[in-house]
Amino acid sequence: MSYLITIIPSLMSGLKTTLGVFFLTIIGSVPLGILVSLGMKSPYFTIRWLINGYIWIMRGTPLLLQLIFIYYGLGMMGITFPRFESAIIAFIINYAAYLAEIFRGGLQSVPRGQYDAAKVLGFSKIQTFFKIVLPQVIKIVVPSFGNEVINLVKDTSLVYVIGLGDILRAGNIAASRDVTLTPYLLVGVMYLIMTAIVTLLLRRSETVLNTWR
Amino acid sequence: MPSMKKKIMVNSIVGGLFVILVLWAIISIPNKSQKNTNSEQSITKTDQWSRIKKEKLITIGLDDTFVPMGFRDKSGNLVGFDVDLATAVFKSLGIKVKWQPIDWSMKETELNTGNIDAIWNGYTITSDRKKQVAFSKPYHKATQVLVTLKKNNINKFSDMKDKVLGDQTASSGDQTFEQYPKVLKQYVKNQKVIGYDTFDKAFNDLNAGRIDGLLIDEDYARYYVAHQSNPSDYTVTVGDFPVNDNAVGFRKTDKQLRRAVNKQLAIFQKDGRLDKYSAKWFGN
Repeated sequence: MSYLITIIPSLMSGLKTTLGVFFLTIIGSVPLGILVSLGMKSPYFTIRWLINGYIWIMRGTPLLLQLIFIYYGLGMMGITFPRFESAIIAFIINYAAYLAEIFRGGLQSVPRGQYDAAKVLGFSKIQTFFKIVLPQVIKIVVPSFGNEVINLVKDTSLVYVIGLGDILRAGNIAASRDVTLTPYLLVGVMYLIMTAIVTLLLRRSETVLNTWR
Repeated sequence: MPSMKKKIMVNSIVGGLFVILVLWAIISIPNKSQKNTNSEQSITKTDQWSRIKKEKLITIGLDDTFVPMGFRDKSGNLVGFDVDLATAVFKSLGIKVKWQPIDWSMKETELNTGNIDAIWNGYTITSDRKKQVAFSKPYHKATQVLVTLKKNNINKFSDMKDKVLGDQTASSGDQTFEQYPKVLKQYVKNQKVIGYDTFDKAFNDLNAGRIDGLLIDEDYARYYVAHQSNPSDYTVTVGDFPVNDNAVGFRKTDKQLRRAVNKQLAIFQKDGRLDKYSAKWFGN
């Protein structure tokens, strides 16, 4: 037990990186995901094709590979981003692709009749989207969105490949220094706490949103 | 629904822009890397000594899990043999060291994209690495040894016949193993080795009996065996692998930096400071 206390400070500094990647990715990928999902329903085939190509690449290659490409690959071509920024870019564009598919599902589940009704009632296109469609979509996508968020908590550990010190790397360092696997146990517990908080927040938002039903 | 006319217009604008973007990327990217060859800005193509001296700062890449060469103590500070040595060497040159943790399998990429200026972390000279990296004079020698459990009675490399071997992926031990198949590779099961990302995991599997032997750097082996709960349970076997020279890795273009470090290393060797650090971290 006293050993665990001695390694907590180093794990906490790793936790900062993990949480930084987590929150910035959420903040960046949700609006981008909504935009992309709208683009998928665009009447212009060129836009649809480009977006489908983007989603295909993002979902069709491992996130680890995308991280390597954005940091080392682009760096070789003369486009250099700092480490942390590279990680954020890679995570945002990757997660936006997954979220876009979820939002698309939500958009498609809003019946056609609602658009017609809004039109008859004199709503503009923008009003229809923000006042009628989006509130329903949010409600529908919360469970699958939550799945992605929980995945994200754990995916943040991939940043080790570009030399960022997240909580898992901090655990790795402690494990190789002290020749014991105990730090991993503590890291696992910390991930569990993070996912528990996320789960609770999502449950809570589901209940709040359900009051409209 | 937009009109047919508008559809065609938007489609051709978006499509056109995309084609232009792709063409621009194809034309400009190879151009850019060519331009870099001539440009003075390029980190990877010109000697960086003047920049390092002016900024009084050098970025060194290390795997911060690599005990006892460079790792973190409980409060998160970087410590170790190489950390002590490199800090002292650059201090006498009036340069501060910025340590950058990297993923070990990416070390040469980090160096050659200019993210770090040197690799100084128990880095072993190998012929493959020499193609990509310029090495300093060696400052430390170690060989690859086989660590086994005493109860398994493995006392020479040939005792590993049809036994399972582990090592660290992309480590110099891994390369030596492939380069000298006669020494150990011909004995082990399926002529294959199990690669771990860090040695602590490999040690754990050795204790659990999933692997029978672990190919590991001598210094590392000593540290690990000494830190196990029962050090006398292990056998460390020195075989016929050649002795590895640890050196600092630089970009091939950084000749002046290499010369300066070589000069300092020679001084450190002469005045006994190198032995002092060696005694502190390896206990020999």
